[in-house]
Amino acid sequence: MALIKLFANLRKLAGTKELSVTEETVGATLSALVEQYPSIKDVILDGSELRPHIVITVNGHNVTDLNASVNEQDVVAIFPPIAGG
Amino acid sequence: MNGWSGKILDIDLSTKTYKTYPLDMEMARMFIGGRGLGARLLWDLVGPEVDPLSPENVLIFTNGPLTGTGYQTSNRFSVTTKSPLTGTVLDANSGGFWGMQFKKTGYDALIVRGKSEQPVWIEIKNGEITFHDASDLWGMRVFAVTEKLGQNNNKRNVLCIGPAGENLSRIAAIMNDRERAAARGGPGAVMGSKNLKAIVVEGKERATINDPEKFKFLLYETKKLLAASPLTSQALPEFGTVVLMNIMNNIGALATRNHQQTQFEGAEAISGEELTEKYLVKNASCWACPIGCTRISKTEKVEGEGPEFESTWAFGAQCGIDDLPAIIEVNALCNDLGLDTISAGSTIACAMELSEKGYLDSDLRFGRADQLAPTVEAMAYRKDIGAELADGSLRLATKYGHAELSMSAKGMEMPAYDPRGLQGQGLLYATSNRGGCHMRGNMIGLEVLGLPKLVDRFQVQGKSAFVILNQNSNAAIDSLVICKFTNMGVADEYFARVLGAVTGVQYATGELIKTGERVWNLERLYNNREGFTTEHDTLPPRLLNEAPTDGPSKGWVSQLEPMLKEYYRTRGWDQNGVPTPKKLADLGLANLM
Repeated sequence: MALIKLFANLRKLAGTKELSVTEETVGATLSALVEQYPSIKDVILDGSELRPHIVITVNGHNVTDLNASVNEQDVVAIFPPIAGG
Repeated sequence: MNGWSGKILDIDLSTKTYKTYPLDMEMARMFIGGRGLGARLLWDLVGPEVDPLSPENVLIFTNGPLTGTGYQTSNRFSVTTKSPLTGTVLDANSGGFWGMQFKKTGYDALIVRGKSEQPVWIEIKNGEITFHDASDLWGMRVFAVTEKLGQNNNKRNVLCIGPAGENLSRIAAIMNDRERAAARGGPGAVMGSKNLKAIVVEGKERATINDPEKFKFLLYETKKLLAASPLTSQALPEFGTVVLMNIMNNIGALATRNHQQTQFEGAEAISGEELTEKYLVKNASCWACPIGCTRISKTEKVEGEGPEFESTWAFGAQCGIDDLPAIIEVNALCNDLGLDTISAGSTIACAMELSEKGYLDSDLRFGRADQLAPTVEAMAYRKDIGAELADGSLRLATKYGHAELSMSAKGMEMPAYDPRGLQGQGLLYATSNRGGCHMRGNMIGLEVLGLPKLVDRFQVQGKSAFVILNQNSNAAIDSLVICKFTNMGVADEYFARVLGAVTGVQYATGELIKTGERVWNLERLYNNREGFTTEHDTLPPRLLNEAPTDGPSKGWVSQLEPMLKEYYRTRGWDQNGVPTPKKLADLGLANLM
């Protein structure tokens, strides 16, 4: 199973920092996530598209393609819009 | 004249005299204000023969034509000098309220030269300039001085140094409004070298606006833009800058234990999420700022502003420390002593590595949160081990024969972002005119956050163009002077419209960014004149040769050399990193050669 890690206000909205999923793509992983935690859907998705400024990494590497594969033992990190300096 | 006040105040502390003269408006058009105007004035005033801590160095405080107008974040000021830390041109800018109040005194720039025989503080109040004896203030800490001199956010504002500046620590900050800092590069030491403890400003003059109706509309539109951006309306207010801790750790670009690793196992414990959940009291804002990224944090021992991401990293991951209350407390201590938190934390980390490897005889060790506050205290007073650390990591590491363990560029300690996992950020550090700094440009938006678009962080070819655009943009924004966070909701070119509405001087499309390019090239010329060459455009050997052995940046080192060659070419400089006559002519700088 892959591990999803949530950050910033996604934690508060979902009420958890992380969860496990068995999906095989980033897009399917997000679908499973918002199905389980509907409160975060509007923050990260606009319909079936990622909202601007949402950052997703798989094993620490940025991913923008929702068809990118997710394998067992992968860590998928999802960040809402964040900024700083 | 609108926007600009049109006057410069020039104070000589050696004679306790001052004069005022008109601002050269052609100079103002070309360099605007803030950092740009400061660099242009410094070019004429301080040459290579001047020791940064001698009376011949100057402090140039500048505001800009937008300052005090009420435009969003128009609260900042800039201080320009020759850096005692790096020997380069230095400008450090700061928010809060002082910059707005300084503008209300009716000056665009304040030049402070010479040296007072005795400690002194300057009061600029409603057209009167008064030199006060500061013997009773010398030795006092920042918070006490700020209160004693009558800080009142909207009416009377105090800028001062703490013991670190008095003791000429080359990493001393100038503090304003109690907890805001013009921190980097040691401007506090220059102020201390002049026996100048504080500058208090109180004024009534209002900035005039060329086209009030248009300005009012732009103000309204900017409010809407900032409210519409999730970055400026949600991300920064809700979690502050420390929210970057987890993402930098996640991608393997969080410098750890003096850059020996790129991930910190204790990152979660010092994250923005942790700070918000357990220690945040409330948000706060600088003058005229709708964003409100400032954190007011509280532990059992202290309550105050911060800490910001870089400060939390410097005393946290860089020192191998995951004790957030200790970090909040040492951040507050740095503010009270007047020390740059990034340089202080990274210098302690350097000392920890030197000690662990047996090069320095001290008990400093990574992970020892209990050592932070006593070490910082000792640095500000140059006592015990602090005397060794007070002038930054490069001087410390060089003294003990291991300059390579200073994680600095041009002698200034680098921020949190490890260049091995962020190729563009490495080029940015190496070419920064004031040394290792993330405020001369910041590639994190492009290389990590996708702002405005994601660029492969390991990409080398073509990266220089992004870095240059970033540097020029930041130089322009620093010359207005407004907060760079505004730029997360409002595009660069929009600021040219605001500038036009305020001053009546119209900046065509691209001209504001070209002004930033002019400022950058002028700063480069200054450094070239000081003897800086391409050999100084580099990074610590660790970042060029030692690849991380695990994590997402595993196997990568900074590919600086090819990026640097491309950078010089794209900048229109020769292979020695010197701006060509053609480039200087294009920027209107040919007369400086």
